[in-house]
Amino acid sequence: MKLRIALLLSIVMIGSPAVLAEDASPKPKPIINPPPTAQDWADLAKLPDWTGVWNPKITDQDAQIRTNPPPWTPKAAAQVEKMFAEEKAGRPPPIVVSCLPESMPSWMLITHNAMEILFTPGRVTMLGESDGNRLRRIYTDGRGHNEDGELTFHGNSIGHWEGDTLVVETINVLPETYIAVSEAAGVPNDGDMKIIERIHLAEPNILHDDLEIIAPHVLTKPWKTTRIFFRQRARKYDIVEGVCLQGNYSERVDANGDNVFVEIKREIWGNIAAPKK
Amino acid sequence: MKQFAGLMAMMCGLVVLVMGTQLAIAHHSSSMFDHAKTMTIHGTVTELRWVNPHVSLTVKGIVDGGSSKEPEEWVMEMTSPGNLVRAGGWSRNAVKEGDEVIVKFSPNRDETLRGGALKEVTLVKTGQTLTANIRMQEMPDLQ
Repeated sequence: MKLRIALLLSIVMIGSPAVLAEDASPKPKPIINPPPTAQDWADLAKLPDWTGVWNPKITDQDAQIRTNPPPWTPKAAAQVEKMFAEEKAGRPPPIVVSCLPESMPSWMLITHNAMEILFTPGRVTMLGESDGNRLRRIYTDGRGHNEDGELTFHGNSIGHWEGDTLVVETINVLPETYIAVSEAAGVPNDGDMKIIERIHLAEPNILHDDLEIIAPHVLTKPWKTTRIFFRQRARKYDIVEGVCLQGNYSERVDANGDNVFVEIKREIWGNIAAPKK
Repeated sequence: MKQFAGLMAMMCGLVVLVMGTQLAIAHHSSSMFDHAKTMTIHGTVTELRWVNPHVSLTVKGIVDGGSSKEPEEWVMEMTSPGNLVRAGGWSRNAVKEGDEVIVKFSPNRDETLRGGALKEVTLVKTGQTLTANIRMQEMPDLQ
């Protein structure tokens, strides 16, 4: 009997005008990425020429460790100084040895590896060598930041052009990703970070990324720094595949005559375990 | 049952052992090597691991001024394949197993280890020297 009453109530509810009205209301249309027009493709030719392979100026990264340190909070500064001491003692803190992406902003700050930059309608894409997983998508189609607040290694990047300068704002970066000044010193950004970049050609073959990093949990004020990249055009310097985890293996032939990867031993600092004397 | 428990315990131990070696070799500082020192080894290449993010060269030879008079294997690390190509002259086949070489390197600070950061390698047969110093190549339009 109870079951019959429940069933009857269900039918009444489903059939009620309120429920029917809700069903009949139009569903919001999904936002569509429209196919680019011929004009959209033609407009790309008006952008500055950023083709080629861009290498970081590592000596400038090295110099800025002391000439332009981030305005760390006292806690972060103490952590970083301890890391410097450990590195100097030959025990470099292994902050980027996991093969997770160096992430934003550390990719731009400390990379030793090349990148290329692709323009397509509504988007700029940065592809990095030496990490198969290193990729930035910068949307320039007028959209705003993701409303869902999804946190990722490279964050949510929205860009626009001011003349020949690409202005990029990046938020929603995972709080665990480092603000690093070297491969052995830095601290997790701890959340609520915003990165503003102005990327432009300083010379015909020199690209500058003027960064402003706002990280209220580890920096006392926004940190401004410029990272320099220089261009190669010789084909022999084209970007090559770079799978980070490959470094953990040697190529061998097994008992079946098959070519296989065999894991090698590593030290906690990230280097290969050398044989003992 | 006891046998099963023993097997499980052994497998758990194995998992712990394997987990303990799971640290990746990715991007790392090279400060475990003493860059203020340069040592030289004369020997024969036993392996070139042409892999990201750090290429390595294993050489069996004798270190100048070293304590051992018998050839020993030393492992030398470098930067990535792409960076080495830009450093000049490098490729997967630039240095091969069996090649006689002279390697200059910065040794591991832990003097009990036969490891180092390779600075340059000279092929005895041709006299060609390949550098691993990418900081010397910081200019556009390299040819």
